[in-house]
Amino acid sequence: MSDAVVARTGTAVVAESRPRRRWSPGGLAGALVLASWAGLFWFLWISGREAFYPTRTDWVVPIAAVLLTAATVGRLASARVVAPKPLAARELWIMGLMVVPVVLVLFAPVTTLGTFSAGKRAGFSGVGFAAPAGDIGSGELTLIDVAAAETSPEGERALAKRAGESVSFVGFVSIRDDTPADEFLLARYVVTCCVADATIAEVRVVNVTPGQFANEDWVQVTGTIFPIGREVIVDASDIAQVERPDHPYLTP
Amino acid sequence: MAQIAEPRRIAGLRRPADRRTVVAVGGTLVALALVVSVGDPGRIAWVRTFFVIFGSLLIQALPFVLLGALAAALVEVFVPIGVFEKLGDFPRPLQLPAAALAGLAFPICECGSVPVARRLMQRGLMPSAAVTFMLAAPVLNPVVIASTFVAFRGRTTLWTMVGGRFLLGMLVAIAVGWVIGNRSKDDLLKPNPEEVDEHLLELGRPEARWRRFFVHLGNDFLFMGRYLLLGATIAAAIQTFLPTSLLTGLAERQVISILAMMALAAALSLCSESDAFVAASFVQFGPSAMLGFLVFGPMVDLKLVSLYAGTFRRGFARTVVLVAAAATFVGALWVGVAFG
Repeated sequence: MSDAVVARTGTAVVAESRPRRRWSPGGLAGALVLASWAGLFWFLWISGREAFYPTRTDWVVPIAAVLLTAATVGRLASARVVAPKPLAARELWIMGLMVVPVVLVLFAPVTTLGTFSAGKRAGFSGVGFAAPAGDIGSGELTLIDVAAAETSPEGERALAKRAGESVSFVGFVSIRDDTPADEFLLARYVVTCCVADATIAEVRVVNVTPGQFANEDWVQVTGTIFPIGREVIVDASDIAQVERPDHPYLTP
Repeated sequence: MAQIAEPRRIAGLRRPADRRTVVAVGGTLVALALVVSVGDPGRIAWVRTFFVIFGSLLIQALPFVLLGALAAALVEVFVPIGVFEKLGDFPRPLQLPAAALAGLAFPICECGSVPVARRLMQRGLMPSAAVTFMLAAPVLNPVVIASTFVAFRGRTTLWTMVGGRFLLGMLVAIAVGWVIGNRSKDDLLKPNPEEVDEHLLELGRPEARWRRFFVHLGNDFLFMGRYLLLGATIAAAIQTFLPTSLLTGLAERQVISILAMMALAAALSLCSESDAFVAASFVQFGPSAMLGFLVFGPMVDLKLVSLYAGTFRRGFARTVVLVAAAATFVGALWVGVAFG
């Protein structure tokens, strides 16, 4: 569609000058906000940083990156208008506020939920995940199986039958005020949709050298499992410090 | 000073942003970047917890806000109002359910549905049907259904949440429409509602559709995004600081938990395209309380009440709040009794 305004006067056709367009401050600022969010999603996609979302919903990231980029280009292209309105200072501050999360995610060192949250998160059983007892009753036991066993009496019974079996779990160390010196809780967050709905899966590890590990150390515990009701104890035969896994959260 | 302030007031504009404001906003963002990268406030446990929850809520929910803004802009720019008016062709008893289900075809958010409902009333659609459409569209639209599915995927309550939100949302919207009954548009609409089309004002003349589309898209995204920002901040603060025992104590009492989540939804004023992620983060609460949050929030919240007050006559907002609250509460309670 042409922007030229054409007036017919008899046989002569006079093309009036095209109305002059100027940048709209609101349009420009809006495009910048969109661009910053597009940049964030491209960064998350390329860097694979998963501190904020689990693998299950990682498809959201590329879709958002592409759509936000398209929206940015479109908003920028439509930001030159005939009669731009001034942008209120308050509105500009609000737009700046919308860029704050982008700055935080881009510039803050990589981080994940830690022990502070462990005591505050609900147990796996409170959330209502489907956990077939058959999965727990056979195959190699994982922390997800242990957590899922809490969701039903059948699950608890299936796990109880595995008592005395050898297990190997990776998680972070969580030591509370009432934790005995020769024990710690081995914890891992279970995330279904986003980290905000994380629940905690944890086992009590006994037979630990006192003082060897601190809160939030990532360790691999090998030992024998003893489910006692809702509490699951692992008698450790070997505990090794490991790097934080690439995928720190478990997905059921 | 007064001489300067007057034209600004007339233009409906607070203090305009000047070069100093731009530098101040930019400088604040740069300073923040320096502080977080050098100071590493994530070393403080509660800061880290707050930050991770806040960031994850935004990253998961924002794409759905964008999808919602995209759908709303498509409807606003490319769908003629006459298409909505076909609702009036249905027999009267079917107009309310048809109006509620129209949300499936016209995915607009709660803020967009208010002006559409007003225009529908002005164009002669039965006011009760227009109100039903206004309340149902933000709950029943496909983007909202998709975001609810994604937010609750993997839980045993998935279909209770997705189906319950759809059905209860439809029933509550119909209930409000039914209470509105045969009241005329003059009884409901303010006589001279502001007809300011800001996009048209700024563009100065009828513009190409693609331009209007992107202006709508950008403005809706920024408008809804700021409420998501506020909602994510409050939700992250609750998750970080509120003792679990308090949340669990609330969640264990069904009646109180439903009322608490409905009140929270109204206070947070989240966009319906992103609210499922916030609801899902309150893992201590059962499906009935979450449904209360997901159905009541898109119909009644702080920003909507002010929109209602600006568009409709006195008393309308009170009717919507009371009827929607009562119907949502009863429906959510029934779900709680039936599904645990």
